Amino acid sequence: MTLGVHASWVLSSAFTGWIDYIVANQDQFLSLLEGHLVMVGIGEFLAISVAVPAGIAATRDPRAARIIENLGAVAQTIPALGVVALTFTFLGLGKAPTILAITLYALFPILKNTVAGIQNIDDSKTRAGRGMGMTNLQRLRRIELPLALPVIFAGIRTSTVLCVGVAYIGVFVGAGGLGVWIQSGLTSVNYDVMLAGAIPGALTVIAFDRGFSVLESLVTPEGVSREEMADSGAAA
Amino acid sequence: MIELDNATKVYGDGTVAVEDVSFEVEEGETVTLVGPSGCGKTTTMTMVNRLTEISDGDIRIDGTSVLDQDPIELRRNIGYVIQEIGLFEHMTVAENISIVPDLRGWSDEEKSARVEELLDLIELPQTVADQYPGNLSGGQRQRVGVARAMAAEPDIILMDEPFGALDPITRQNLQEEFLEIQRALDVTIMFVTHDIDEALKMGDKVAVLRDGELVQYDAPKDLLGSPKNEFVADFIGEDRVLKQLTAVSVREVMTAPKDGDGAGERPLSPEESLKVALQRILQDGSPKMVVENGEVVGRLTEADVAAVAGARASEVLQQ
Repeated sequence: MTLGVHASWVLSSAFTGWIDYIVANQDQFLSLLEGHLVMVGIGEFLAISVAVPAGIAATRDPRAARIIENLGAVAQTIPALGVVALTFTFLGLGKAPTILAITLYALFPILKNTVAGIQNIDDSKTRAGRGMGMTNLQRLRRIELPLALPVIFAGIRTSTVLCVGVAYIGVFVGAGGLGVWIQSGLTSVNYDVMLAGAIPGALTVIAFDRGFSVLESLVTPEGVSREEMADSGAAA
Repeated sequence: MIELDNATKVYGDGTVAVEDVSFEVEEGETVTLVGPSGCGKTTTMTMVNRLTEISDGDIRIDGTSVLDQDPIELRRNIGYVIQEIGLFEHMTVAENISIVPDLRGWSDEEKSARVEELLDLIELPQTVADQYPGNLSGGQRQRVGVARAMAAEPDIILMDEPFGALDPITRQNLQEEFLEIQRALDVTIMFVTHDIDEALKMGDKVAVLRDGELVQYDAPKDLLGSPKNEFVADFIGEDRVLKQLTAVSVREVMTAPKDGDGAGERPLSPEESLKVALQRILQDGSPKMVVENGEVVGRLTEADVAAVAGARASEVLQQ
């Protein structure tokens, strides 16, 4: 490929070629996108179901906190590709190893924000709750969780965005997803195909990010000021 | 009635926070706990609702040891106003006030009726019920905090520096208001403060603590008149005599009017403090007439005022 051809590709088809490819392969695109989102969705769901309770447990007991936070941090440092490579032998080919990788990767931001969200609640609030005769569970449900929810949500948002990227590795174990087009684009050195796989992923990330920020403001309890939100957000 | 019987708190690391504190709070009385920071006043108070567990000794409420009661149930029966107010900003004013009634399973009608009643009592407009604490001023928040503590009609209210974070003017207004509310209700109150003036003003009795020990427990007048030792005298401050005059009313020392005593210029009311009376005497001369409902009911001379200050001062010397 000469430089001239390359330049003209950049000028002409960079903006349209990948769209043409998607339009021409609409059905495959939809099924790849769907596969991608299903993996992210399940992985994220599992991560939330583990990390939020674990985060709450961590705030009840400082010793548990250390262990739980370290485990969460370790989970995030294991390369996702490594998780897939190590686990497909017993989880089998397909979506399962990828979902596991996503879950592990998604744990830490949620865990960290759950802990931070609850710990940042002003001590006078929990003390007042205790002094008024709330049980531990009532305090958690009526005070701690509502006040921490926006921060927890910020963690879910961060981890979802990360996981859209992680799901691309699913292609190596036959899990499908948008990674399929990245790989076929790479093998055939076809930028259009690569971009057709990559750009929808990027757009999904932006959409998730926006969508979650709307959700975040919905779960922010009325009466909690913007300023305070910014404070706890920064601390998280 | 609350009885503290050698109540002691020793923390795990051996720190003695409160040691052998004993005193009684009569029903309907307000007792202020005062002392320098770290003297154990808050710890002493929170042992009553078991936010702090007693290490040794006992605390009884109407004869029953708090240790024999379920802490959750105990706390629901005792109003609690916390230092930084501790209102929940994600709940409306009405929701904040009805927390304990809600925990006790009151119906919605009962709760909203109680909220209405309490907003009247603390002189806030009914419209704040649906607002969030973040929209209220510091003084209003503090009032809501007090209303929240009174919501389930507890017999006892514990207050931890409830007016601590307010500016002096708001603080004074709230103190006055609270005194009125308190007179209208028959509640037993324990009130922690580091401000001796507040302690003297709010308390029927004042407990002075130092290093976890009870130094003196007396009515404000007696505390001012005969501080037990130098620490108490110092804590009350250089202007002890003036404070003492604040705590005594004209009615207590005035003598019967003599024949032919007219009301004269600027007469005193019997409820006025001796401090105000002294100021009038210094300005207008003695004697001053005391007038109640348009009638001369007594007279007060400079010597009467001086006698109060002097008599009390000599009591100190005797001890």
